[in-house]
Parts: sequence; C-alpha cells; structure tokens
Amino acid sequence: MAISTADTAPVTTAPAPARQAPPPRWRSREALTAWLFILPSLVGFLIFTAGPVVAAGVISLLNWNLFSAPTWAGLHNFARLGPDPTFWSALGSTAYFTLVSVPLTILVSLLLALLLNQGLKRIAVFRSLLLLPYATITVAVAFVWIWLYIPHDGLVNAVLGWFGINGPAWLISDTWAMPALILMSVWKSFGFGMVVFLAGLQAIPQQLYEAGRVDGTSPWKSFRHITLPMLSPALFFVIVTSVIGSFQVFDQALIMTNGGPGTRTTTLVMYIYRTGFENYDQGYAAAQSLVLFAFIVLITATQFMFQRKLVHYDN
Amino acid sequence: MRTMSTNLTRRSVLQLGGLAGIALAAGCSSGPPAGAATWAMWSSSAAEKKVWEDFGKYVEQQLGVKSVATLTPSSGYPTKLDLQLVSGTASLVTALNGTLIPTYAARGAHRQLDDLIAADPDFKLDDFYETSRKISGFNGKTYAIGFDVAPTVMYYNKDLLKKQGIPLPSRTEPMSWATFRDLAKQLTKPGEQYGFTCAPAIDDLVSWIYCAGGNVMSADASRSALGDPEAMEALQFVIDLFVKDKVTPPIKNLVTESSLSNFMQGNVAFMQNGPWQVVNARKAKFDWDIIPFPAGANGSTPRVSGSSFAIPSGVREGAELDLAWKLLKTLTSTGALDIYAKAGRNNPARLSAGSAFRPPPDNLGIVQDILAGKVAGGHAFDVTTNWNQVKQLLGQDLPRTFLGQVGVPEAINGLTPRLDVLMRQHLDTVRQATARKG
Repeated sequence: MAISTADTAPVTTAPAPARQAPPPRWRSREALTAWLFILPSLVGFLIFTAGPVVAAGVISLLNWNLFSAPTWAGLHNFARLGPDPTFWSALGSTAYFTLVSVPLTILVSLLLALLLNQGLKRIAVFRSLLLLPYATITVAVAFVWIWLYIPHDGLVNAVLGWFGINGPAWLISDTWAMPALILMSVWKSFGFGMVVFLAGLQAIPQQLYEAGRVDGTSPWKSFRHITLPMLSPALFFVIVTSVIGSFQVFDQALIMTNGGPGTRTTTLVMYIYRTGFENYDQGYAAAQSLVLFAFIVLITATQFMFQRKLVHYDN
Repeated sequence: MRTMSTNLTRRSVLQLGGLAGIALAAGCSSGPPAGAATWAMWSSSAAEKKVWEDFGKYVEQQLGVKSVATLTPSSGYPTKLDLQLVSGTASLVTALNGTLIPTYAARGAHRQLDDLIAADPDFKLDDFYETSRKISGFNGKTYAIGFDVAPTVMYYNKDLLKKQGIPLPSRTEPMSWATFRDLAKQLTKPGEQYGFTCAPAIDDLVSWIYCAGGNVMSADASRSALGDPEAMEALQFVIDLFVKDKVTPPIKNLVTESSLSNFMQGNVAFMQNGPWQVVNARKAKFDWDIIPFPAGANGSTPRVSGSSFAIPSGVREGAELDLAWKLLKTLTSTGALDIYAKAGRNNPARLSAGSAFRPPPDNLGIVQDILAGKVAGGHAFDVTTNWNQVKQLLGQDLPRTFLGQVGVPEAINGLTPRLDVLMRQHLDTVRQATARKG
C-alpha cells in the first residue's frame, strides 16, 4: 500500500522554545565579580595615574605659575627644551646613571642569587640580611652614605687607604660624584633583583641539570645553556623595572649632592621637580615629564621587541 | 554551613568597607573649626615649636578665637605653602621668608596690605625697622609685615684668640678685609685649627659683595652684576680664603656643609652668620661673642635679611579678611615679638620689641645699633621675582670655585649669560605684575 503523502498533514517541526541568548561575557556574574574586585585599583589608577598623565599633557600646553590663571602656550614649552643646556645635561646624567647602574645592579643581584641558591644553611637569614638595604628608606640610606664618602675620615676612603689608594673627595668631585651615587644605588637596590632571581632559580627543574651532568656539561655551559634561558623571564622583568626606576632617580641625588657639583648629578626628575615647584614653571615641567615618559615608553617598547628573541618561556 | 560562612565574610567585608569609607570621609572633612585664626609657619626644632605654641596662646588671649597653627619643617615649608595656596586651603596668614616675598607677590599669591594699613589707625608701620619694611614690599607696595630682621655679623671664638695671644677685635669698629685675612691666617693651623668658616653659597657671598660695593644684579635688575669689578673683588677675596689661604675647614660635602657646626667644634676662630644662630651658639662650650662684619671698599654693609607674615590672595573680603588682618597684627605685635625675642630666636622686626632680644652674647646690642645706623651698616638683601632660579643657578656653578675646581672669572663668565636671561625674565614678571595692578 502506497502511502499518499497528499493526505497527510504536512510535517512541520514545532518551533523550539526560543533559546535565550547568553548574556554578553562582560555582563556575566563572574565578570561583574571580577570588575568589583578590580574597581578599587582601577579607580585609584584612573585618579592617581591616568588622570595626572592626561593633566600633564594639558598643562604642557599652558603657561602656568600655579597662582595666576594659566594662559595658552601651544607647543612653546616643548620648543624650549632644545636650547636648554640644563635639560640636556640632566638627560645625559640620567642616561649615564641608567647605563652603569642597571647592568651593575643586575650583575650583583644575579651573583648573590646564585650564591644563595647553593643550598646554604640558614639561607633565609642571609636572604633577609641582603634584602635589608632594599627595604630601607632611601633618605636614611643616603645620609649614611654621605658619611661613608667623607673625603678624609669616611669609611670608603679609609678602606681604600689600606690598599695604598688615596680616595677622591667623592661627592664634590666632577669625576666621582656620579659613580658615588651609582655605587650607593646599586647597594640600595640589588636586593629586589636578588629575590626575583632566587625565585626564578628555584623554579628551574633539577632534571635539566641532571641531564646536563649525564652529558658531561661543564658548570659554565650548564649556566649558559640551562640557567640563563630558564631565568630569562625573571631577567627581563628585572631589566625592565630597573631601567624604568633608574630613569626616575631622584631622592639620593637630591640628598647626597643636590645635583652638584655644577650639574654633574642633576637628574631629569630633579630638574622637573625644580622647574615645577621651585621655579613655578608648571607648563615647562610638564613638557619635560612628557619627554621623559616618551623616553621610558620607547626604551621599554624596544625591550619588549627583543623579548621575543631573547626570553625563553616554558609555553 | 559553607554558604553561611560566605555570607558572613561578605557582610564583614561590606561592614569593613563602610567603616573605612566613613573614616575616609571624616578624614577628608577634618579642618580647622569655622572662625579659627589659622596661620602657617616653619618649625624645625622642639624649641622653635614651643615659641609658636606660645604665639598661639597669645593669639587666643588677644583675639578670643581658637588659634590653629600649621607648622612645617623649614625645608618643606615653601612646597607645602604652594600646594595650600593653589588648592585654596592656605591659612589666613602665612609666614614668608623675605627672599620669597617678591616671588609670591609678583604672582598674585598674596594680597597687598596698603589698603588695610591705611584703614587702620591703630597700626603703626613706623615701629618696624626700615629694612624690614623694604624686605616686606614689592613694586612699591607692602605685601607683608615683618617679624624678624637682622644683619649678618661675625661670630668669634674668644678663647681661641686669647690662647693665641691675639687682642680681641673692636666691639663696634669693623676691621678691614686685610686685617681679617691676616687674623684668619694667623689663627690657622692646618688640619687642627682654622681662621674662618662660612657657607659656600650665594647667601653668604652677598655680604662680601655688598661690602665691596657690588651686587648680584644691576640697579635696575636688567642684567647680572657679578662680573663687575666690585663683585669680582669680593668673590675672589672669599674664594682665596678657601682655596689659596686655606684658612677654612676643608669642605667635605656641599649639601651638609654647615658653618655653625664647624664653629661649634671650637677650633674655628671666626664664623659669618646672622643673629638667628645666637640661640644655637649659646650651646657652645667656649667663650664667644659677635662683632660687626669686616669692612670692604664700601664699608661694613653686609646682608640684612628677615621674615614676615602675609595674607594670601584667596582670603575672602569681609569677615574672613577682617580676622586675617587682626591675626596678622597680633602675630607681629610687640607682645608676640617679645615672646619671640625673649626665646632668643632672632632680632624682632619691631623697634618697640627690641629690648626683649637680650645677651648673651655680651655684644648682642650691635645688632640693633647696626639696623639703626649707629654702628657699621647693612644692605637689604636684594632679590628678584625668580630668586629660586637665580639661587639655583648660582648654587650650581659657584660652589665649584670654593673647591678650586674652577676659577672665579671662569665661573662668572660661564653663568653670566644665563643669569642675564633670568634678570630679563624677572623684569617681564615685574612688568606683568604692574600691568595687572594697573
């Protein structure tokens, strides 16, 4: 028997109950909870970081002495940077400080981290002691170092004297004032890098070293081909933060040398501070700070470019 | 059980958040009570704080309102004051160092006081030393009322001179520069004892420059005058004391170098300083006194400096301004300045409070005699409306001459073009201030 399809009611699929579209990801319960947690930081960031950056951008286009109503200056404040010898000298001093202090700090931090990673007894005590300079207030440390650097009776020159070296008048010498600041800054900040490196070293799987030993690798090759690549993310992090920090060097220079002798140790942030708050030239100070910001962004972006080639991530 | 625990935690967090919010709001809204007499002052020691507390009590007693003083260490005072002025939270009356009065006045940060003085028959400006009045003015107008004023003098260690068999210098007649240099050399035993100490900075150098008949800027403030023969002679004389004659203690650090601490060691014969250090020098374990500043070609005309109280421009006309003016008058009244002078802080700016600034040292009376023109002389500290910048520039280049790193002519030639630019900026600021006033 043939079945006539003509007699049969056309088969229609009953409409499925309309599926409720899921709420957009940003409106999901999890996302809202996340936003709630982020909110305090975000508000703080917008008010105290993003806001001032935008404000600096606006102020850099004004003539403003703090007390009178600001007037429009356009790009004049940026044009003033070119013929200003103190700005270039401060930029040079800051670059000198960065180029010498960052590699030195990283070297010292890495050496100490490697030393502390040798399974020494009471490592926590050593780690805490070595971290102390980093945890101490820069102002207090700077005053102690002023006394260490005193030309005749200071500890630094006394130690040099034991080796027959007649130490210089560190903080008032054209040649030695900046190296003196760098030495103090390295001492003050190596603790941070050391802790990061130590954490990185302790995360390297021991099997890699064991495999190396089976293959007869020397300690140097093991460091070069296992430790350094595995430590490269930590190294990258410390380099980026150290460069940013060193471009912002201020307090030790202000207290130990006040930027002198001459302008030998006048750093860019010190010059910005003086321009804005001692000379009441807010527009020009804002222009300088934007240039410094641009330098830091440029250098950090360059570092991130090299990251792809030089930094090894497990994934 | 788990849910309950979560709820409780959330509630606790909310409660804590609420409490923190309330605390924050309370913190933000805390301020001086309405109608209080608010004033700002620098204070860097417990002794200084005590004087200002006594001032506060005096204000409350005189005005019958609560006195609220904002005390800040002197190094951070200008920055804090700037921020308060800009944010509209400054006190009714603020203390100002004389060197910064033109800076604030020219920028309109403080109001001129001539209208208030003219409308108040009880207030006698004549009772203030003329130099104090000069320091407190700008562009022909009064912007502040002084509370202290004093010339730079020469402190000397009497014991050291007696030990060397050197007759004590005249108490009233300034010695010549040549005599001073000979004495300083005579009293120096390298590495052991020194003839003289002063700060390696423009603040101390100007006294020598004024005595030689020079100045930092030309009479119309249109250019630097440090390269003029008079100023050069003075600069070379002082630098020679440091570098050639080596009669000064070696400079160990330009930031912490302090003539007072050198002098207090007891092995330095002469110290250049102001009477505001009398209160500290009284702690010395040796006999000392003060004499007039050595006389150069222009006589003994060292720097005269002082400090004052002023009213910010943000103070509203009406009851607020009335209270500010009453407070300013009280803080600079004979009664208040008596408290200040009796504590030995410095010579009061009012003639009628002078008797409260008493010995020791024996010869303290010359301070007022110098101001009155009876002994030697003085020169009001001439500053510009951008004095911070001028000081900064000179602070960069001049200290190197004290260290012998560069010669005086080289340093002055190097900084003169930049100083000239600052002088032109100063004149522009004065012109703008004049136009605003007009």
